[in-house]
Amino acid sequence: MRPFTWLTPETTEEAVALLRAHGEGARVIAGGQTLLLAMKERLVGPSHLVSLARITDLAGITTEPDGALVVGAATTYAALTRAELPGWQRRLSEVAGDLADRPVRNRGTIGGALCAADPRFDMPAFAVGVDAELRISGAAGERALPAHEFLVDAGRTALGQDEILTAVVLPPLPTWDVVVFEKFRHRVFDAAIASAVCALRREDHGVPASLRITVAGATPTPTVVLVDAAADGAAAAESAVAAVRLDSSDEATRYRRELVHTLVRRVVDRAHAQQGSV
Amino acid sequence: MQKVCLTVNGREVSAEIDERTLLLEFVRDVAGLTGTHNGCLEARCGCCVVEVDGDVVKSCNVLAVQVDGAEITTIEGLAPQRLAPVDQITTQSLAGVYRPVEAVRGTPEDLHPVQAAFHRCHAVQCGFCTPGMVMVLKDYLEENPEPTRDDVRRAIAGNLCRCTGYQHIVDAAMEAAAEMRGERVPDRPTHGSTDGA
Ligand SMILES: Cc1cc2nc3c(=O)[nH]c(=O)nc-3n(C[C@H](O)[C@H](O)[C@H](O)COP(=O)(O)OP(=O)(O)OC[C@H]3O[C@@H](n4cnc5c(N)ncnc54)[C@H](O)[C@@H]3O)c2cc1C
Ligand code: FES
Ligand code: FES
Repeated sequence: MRPFTWLTPETTEEAVALLRAHGEGARVIAGGQTLLLAMKERLVGPSHLVSLARITDLAGITTEPDGALVVGAATTYAALTRAELPGWQRRLSEVAGDLADRPVRNRGTIGGALCAADPRFDMPAFAVGVDAELRISGAAGERALPAHEFLVDAGRTALGQDEILTAVVLPPLPTWDVVVFEKFRHRVFDAAIASAVCALRREDHGVPASLRITVAGATPTPTVVLVDAAADGAAAAESAVAAVRLDSSDEATRYRRELVHTLVRRVVDRAHAQQGSV
Repeated sequence: MQKVCLTVNGREVSAEIDERTLLLEFVRDVAGLTGTHNGCLEARCGCCVVEVDGDVVKSCNVLAVQVDGAEITTIEGLAPQRLAPVDQITTQSLAGVYRPVEAVRGTPEDLHPVQAAFHRCHAVQCGFCTPGMVMVLKDYLEENPEPTRDDVRRAIAGNLCRCTGYQHIVDAAMEAAAEMRGERVPDRPTHGSTDGA
């Protein structure tokens, strides 16, 4: 690990000011679960680490008057797992409780996973899958981006050098009736090779009104697949495979393509089969 | 350099340390407690698990400066009486340590129920993974007193054991859970597993 200066601001404004003052070498650290691995390998060597740990309003979950769920960027997976959330928003707790391992879930944060923008991580897939909005604070002020615009490439986000992700906002409950998340990994502890999210909204008589399918893991950033709202699992799976363009014929790619097909078929069929707001 | 003050197993330990010091290094080299093991240094094996303010973490993937002011519990903290240093190994001190396996129970004077069950169920071979396994299982069983064998396997998903094949570790966890629920556990060591996995 290369030497660095340790900084512990108490407010987001202070943190942003520190990032600005120390320029390119300064880096945010939340739980450190991804960053410290990279620092130990000397893949990165920040000159200044700006810790979010003392900024209390970056952790925690609140509900807006319209039902949108505001999740602080520094909320740990363990806290998300314990949260009691309504309707489909509960998927967030389930996804958070079924990744990495107990000790890592106590430190890793939702914001850290999104900012790391690793294609294998679950939270980027989930955030794009439910069309979450990400709130950002920077020296130039506040802004918000849909998750799919925030994630620019594998390991790259739309964040500027002096910007901090402050919250992940899940849309209000009526946005979706059903959200289904599935991933594939060889062992419980492994990151996903591929994952898929299906968010479904129905009209009054239960007729599908909107179907949002997101595929992740197999592509540098989560890919939203455009399908007809009435598409069944088999049709959606074909569209997904075409959309992610895993064209090469080597074994690894063929395997991923197969996984994408299966996962999308499953999430869509499961979504159509579920009644009520789940 | 940065001043860091931690309470390790109830004892205050403070030192001026390099910012890069991992919590694992603080526990082993500054606090001098070598029960917490370094198996991989990359958050893979779980040998380094300790509690920070009651939550388990992989101490090789946390900086000591990140947890300044926190209460740390290590494997040594689970059985306080064993902290008394043995200066000279005598027949008496050995007799004190090596009591018949049947007699070992989880009591405050003895061992934590998870430690006692590991002993009875032969869940330890080389012992390198044991501190981390015990710390994670203690934390897990406090939250879920009635786990299935499958739950236990998921709870230790981040802990690698190269020796036991995990069967006896799961046996021990199930027996520890029973003892922690206040049930009587068998007097005889329960070798042999009930699941085929
Ligand atoms: C053993 C292990 C197993 C894992 N398994 C899984 C798995 O199965 N599935 C999965 O999805 N993930 C898995 N992960 C990854 C885990 O999700 C991430 O490591 C964790 O969420 C990162 O959060 P953090 O708070 O620790 O981020 P940090 O490591 O602190 O930060 C990560 C990056 O994001 C930046 N950053 C963090 N927060 C902010 C912010 N608010 N604003 C701006 N920049 C920020 C940092 O500068 C850094 O570049 C695993 C990790 C480990 C160590
Ligand atoms: S030494 Fe920490 S997980 Fe292996
Ligand atoms: S007993 Fe040897 S690694 Fe587990």
